[in-house]
Order: sequence, then structure tokens, then C-alpha cells
Amino acid sequence: MFPVLQSNLPYLLQGAVYTVALSAFVVVFGALLGIVVGTIASAAPAPVRWLINAYVFVFRGVPVLVIMFLGFYSFPAVGLRLDAYTAVAISMVVYIGAFVTEAVRGAIAAVPKGQVEAAMSIGMRRIPMLREIIVPQALRLAVAPVLNISLMAIKQTSYASIVGAWELSFAAREVVERTLAAFEIFLGVMIIYFLICYPLSKAAALAEKRFSYVH
Amino acid sequence: MTSTASDPIVSVRKLHKSFDKLEVLKGIDLDVRRGEVVVVLGPSGSGKSTMLRCINFLETFQSGTITVDGRPVGYEAGDHRRPLGEARNAKVREHVGMVFQSYNLFPHRTVIENVMMGPVKVKKVARALAREKGMALLAKVGMDHKADAYPGQLSGGQQQRVAIARSLAMEPSVMLFDEVTSALDPELVGEVLKVMRGLAQEGMTMIVVTHEMGFARQVADRVVFMDGGVIVEEGAPGDIMAAPKTERFGNFLSRNLDQ
Repeated sequence: MFPVLQSNLPYLLQGAVYTVALSAFVVVFGALLGIVVGTIASAAPAPVRWLINAYVFVFRGVPVLVIMFLGFYSFPAVGLRLDAYTAVAISMVVYIGAFVTEAVRGAIAAVPKGQVEAAMSIGMRRIPMLREIIVPQALRLAVAPVLNISLMAIKQTSYASIVGAWELSFAAREVVERTLAAFEIFLGVMIIYFLICYPLSKAAALAEKRFSYVH
Repeated sequence: MTSTASDPIVSVRKLHKSFDKLEVLKGIDLDVRRGEVVVVLGPSGSGKSTMLRCINFLETFQSGTITVDGRPVGYEAGDHRRPLGEARNAKVREHVGMVFQSYNLFPHRTVIENVMMGPVKVKKVARALAREKGMALLAKVGMDHKADAYPGQLSGGQQQRVAIARSLAMEPSVMLFDEVTSALDPELVGEVLKVMRGLAQEGMTMIVVTHEMGFARQVADRVVFMDGGVIVEEGAPGDIMAAPKTERFGNFLSRNLDQ
């Protein structure tokens, strides 16, 4: 069954390795960026919050494809000669970071006000309060939205082929052009993407359990 | 007794507080001396909880002054009414314990970790010592057998007793109780009041906002009746609860004693 898929599978899996590497980089650094910026947004003075707002609104309001093109063509314009992977990875980290920022900020805002008052009433300052009381409770609330954003990011790495970064989707199109077996190949590609995303869903479920506590 | 014994621990002067255009405190004056138990009574919306929250500066206020142990609360002493800033507010709050209606225990930390939080993270006490003292406080409120449980595993009365221990761990000069039994099932009220009664007997300075008339009558050194943002009447519970001087307090008492 599916002889064309079978014979081209090794080539597609090579592409998948690039997809996984790019995804891992974007998810890890995008989440880190978002957690840091989202936490700052919850404690910083107004001018800093405005800057963060601007960042979030701009990047949330623009397609990732446009951000990638912008990254790809603007790095050379400022004298940075980056290969397609690096340009795409940086663009996507900044893009995903904006979404995670908003998720983390929302999670922090969702921690009940009574928690802040209780921490204040025992004399806690703002930073220890964030570290000990607010962020640990917010992280649990942020797991589900950050998972969604991460899955979105993995799938969006398929746009990277447009600026010439070779990965799974790029490899698939090459194979289809050569063999014309579009159905077979893309069916295989679909399954590979699923297999990449599925463990992340599992990991997030575990993380949610790990952070949970009895109410 | 030293000469400081009669000095007020908490001193509230001409306190005015508004939420937008609604003035909820219209000039409150209150002194609470060391070891005194003051119970604040009043109908909902009388401003009693707001006054309590101002003492811990969980609410800002528009005018007037509050001092705790001689330290200004919220704003510089003197004519310049500048906000104190976060660090100094936190410092004052170390000396003021507060227990909330909704307990507000930290749900991601065990009972003993809740009690150790203040000493370890604010006072920088060594963990071993903080644990030892914390266990003693939990024993005092009858909760040492649940030291490693999470708040969500406890009943409301148990959570509230842990919350009292968490406040006591900071060794405050005064304890504020904000309707701490109002969210509890009736059969759990007694265990919390018993802990509070014990504290009062040990000489803890307490300001208690409550609807528990029996507690006011038996434990209070002084009862303060608030209505409409002012203190209407105050005095020893034996005097004013038996023979209220104002009609407002009389009506309030007859409404609430029927229960």
C-alpha cells in the first residue's frame, strides 16, 4: 500500500527533523519570552506596559507569514546576513512570544485578588509575591492556552518553506512535484505532523496535573 | 505595666474614604490600646470592613491619618500627604495581622508552608526555626495534625484557623479580623471563635469586625457601633449593649438579637 509514500518516507522524515528542530526552538524560546514579558507586564509601571501592549497588539494583528517575510528581508537591510532558518526562527519567537505574553498576563490577572491581599498582609513585597504566590498559581492557568499557542506554532513552521527554509512541507512539495502523488504524500505528511504535535498535548496534560492542587 | 501600656497601638484620626463619589467613611476616630479587644458592629455598608482594610492599607484613603505602633500608615506623617511607597507599606504591614472572610490561604502550598511563608520570605527566618515555630502555632489553633495537607483538603473552619496561625507567625502588634466567620457553616463558627477567644485571653490586641453578638458581649473590652460611615456609639459591651444610647444602635441590636 502507498508505494510512493513508502519509497519517499526517508526523505520526508529528514524534513520532519528540520520541522521538529525549528518547532522546538520556537516553542521553547517563544514561551520563555512570553513568560518573562507577561510577568513584567503585570508588575511594571505604565510606560513599560504601554510598550508591551504595543508589541502584543502589533504582532497579534499581523499574519505570521508577513512577519517571516519582514524578518527575512529586514535583517539584511540592517546589515545582518542570516540564513533562512535563523531569520524564520527569530521572527517566529517574537511572534509566538506576543501570544504567550497575553496568555501569561491573563493567567496572572486570573489569580484571585484575595491572594495578593493575603500576601500583602504578611508584609510581602511585590517581587517575592510574584515569585512565591502569583506566578506559581498563574503557570497552572497558563498551561492550556500556552499549549494551544505552541501547537499553532508547530504548524506555522510550514510557512518557513516560503522564504526557502527547507522542512517537512517543503520536502513534501518537492516529492509531489516529482511523483504527482499528492494525496498519498500529503496523507503521510498529515500523520507526521500529528505525531509531532501529539506528544506535546500529552506533556501539557502532565504539566497541568503536576501544577494542580486540590481546591 | 510599663508606661507604653496605655499608648494606642492603633490610632485612627479623622479618617475619610470614598469610592469614587460614594463616601463610605466620614471622619472616623478610633484608638486601640495594647491588649485591648475592640469589636466593631454595624449593618452591611456601614464602612466597618473598609475601616479595617484602611488600617492595613489595603485601601487608600483621601484624608485623615492612621498610625500603628507609632508608624504612619499609607502616607507620610505631617502636612505633606505623600504616599509612603511600597517598601514602607510592606514594613508597616509586618506588624499588622489580618484574617479575611474568605481565608485566602495559598492553595499551592501546604498548611505549614502557608504559616512559614511570612517568617521565611519576609523576615528571613531560617526554615528550620520557622517550621518549629509554625508547628507550635498550628498546635495552638488545633491544626498541627494537618500540617502537610493542602488548604483545599480542609473545611472552612480549619482553613480559617490556619489563616489565623499564618498571621500570628509574623508576631504582629495587632490582629484585624474581617468578618472571619461569615463564610462558615454555622457548626464551624464555634471552633474559630474559640481560637479568637484564646488569643484575647492571652492579651493580643484585636480589632474584630463581626456579626457575632455573643462574641462581642463576652470577649470585647469595647464595642464600637458604626453606621453610615461614622462611629455612632461606643463603650463597654455590658453598658451599651444592655442600654444603647442611640436609637440606631438599639434598632440594630433588636434586629440582630432576635436570631
